[in-house]
Amino acid sequence: MSARRAEPFRGRKMLTRRMGSGEAWRDTKVGMWAWLLQRVAAIGLVAVIAAHLKNPFARPVQAALLALVLFHGLLGVRTILLDFGLPARWHRLLFLLALLVGVAAFAAFWRWRWY
Amino acid sequence: MVLKVFRWSPGSRERLQKYWVKARQGMTVLDALVELQRNSDATLAFRYACRVGMCGSCAMVVNGRERWACRTLLSNLARGPVTVRPLYQFPLIRDLVVDMAPIKNKMLEMKAVFVPGRRAMDGDGFAQIGSRTRERRAIDAAIECIGCGMCVSACTMVSHDPNFPGPAALNRVFTLQRDSRDGAHADRSQAVLAEDVLTRCHGQANCTAVCPMEISPTDSILALRRRAVLRLFGIGPR
Repeated sequence: MSARRAEPFRGRKMLTRRMGSGEAWRDTKVGMWAWLLQRVAAIGLVAVIAAHLKNPFARPVQAALLALVLFHGLLGVRTILLDFGLPARWHRLLFLLALLVGVAAFAAFWRWRWY
Repeated sequence: MVLKVFRWSPGSRERLQKYWVKARQGMTVLDALVELQRNSDATLAFRYACRVGMCGSCAMVVNGRERWACRTLLSNLARGPVTVRPLYQFPLIRDLVVDMAPIKNKMLEMKAVFVPGRRAMDGDGFAQIGSRTRERRAIDAAIECIGCGMCVSACTMVSHDPNFPGPAALNRVFTLQRDSRDGAHADRSQAVLAEDVLTRCHGQANCTAVCPMEISPTDSILALRRRAVLRLFGIGPR
C-alpha cells in the first residue's frame, strides 16, 4: 500500500482531545458509545470464550458469553446497516434498537433455558 | 459567569485563564470574548468575521464540544465555568486562533480539486447540472461545507492517525466523485484507496453531530466506501 505521507505540521503545537479528561467525555455522542461498547465487548469475548472452553457448564460464564455475543453482534449489525446505506442520522435509533433487542433476546434465551 | 479561556503564544506555556463576565440575556460566547478583549485583556486572540453564523471563522471548543462561538448562547451552556479552547487537531497560532491549512493540505493530498473532464463543456459553455436532477440531489447537502474545521476537530480518528484525511476532505472528494463534469475520478479513486483513508473511518459520526451546516460527512465517507468496494469487484462507477 501507499507509503505514509509526510506530516507537514509535525513539531507545531496543537491540541488533541485528551480522552483521560472529563471534558472530552462530557458531550460524547451516541456513535462513539456504540463504537466503544462494541470494542469492549470484543475484548471481553476473548476472555469469556477462553473461560467457557475451560468450563462450558459454568452458568455465570454462559450468561456473560450470551450477553457479550448479543451486544457485539447486534452492534455489528447496526454498523453493517449503516455501511449498506442507511442514513447516518438513524444511527442513534439503531444503537437504541441494538441495546433493546439485546436485552430482550438475553431475557428470552435465559428464560428458555434450552441447555 | 466564569470563562476559562485557553491562552498560549509561541514561546510561552499554555494555561487556562479565568475571566469574569456579567452574562446578559442573549449573550453569546463570542459576545463575551469581544467584551473581555475590549475591557479586560487586549492581548486575548480569537478569530471571527460574520458574527451571524455563516462564515465558520469563530469555530472553537466550548465545554468540550465544537461550536460556533457566535451561535452559542451562554444561557444554553451547563452551569459552572465555561471552558473555551481552540479547535483540536489544528496547529496553534495564538490563544484561540488556529492554522486552517491542514484542511487544504488534506484536500490536495486526496486530489479533491475539480479537474474539467470531457463533459465539462457543452455547446453553450460550462455544462450545468440542474438543481432538481438526481446527480445534484445526491450531493446537495454535502456541497454546503464552509471549511470551519469543526468536523476535523471532533473526529477521533484524525487524532489517532495524522495521515487520515479527515471528514472535510473526504466530504469534498465525495462531491467531486459524483460530479459528471469532473475528469479525475480515477485518480481520486486511487487516492482514497490508500491504507489510511476510507478504512480508517469508524463511523462514530462525531463529525456529523457537530457540523453547523448539518452536513453528514459520515454518509459521504460511507458512500465513497461503497463505491470503492464495488470497484474492487469491477462493478459500479468510480
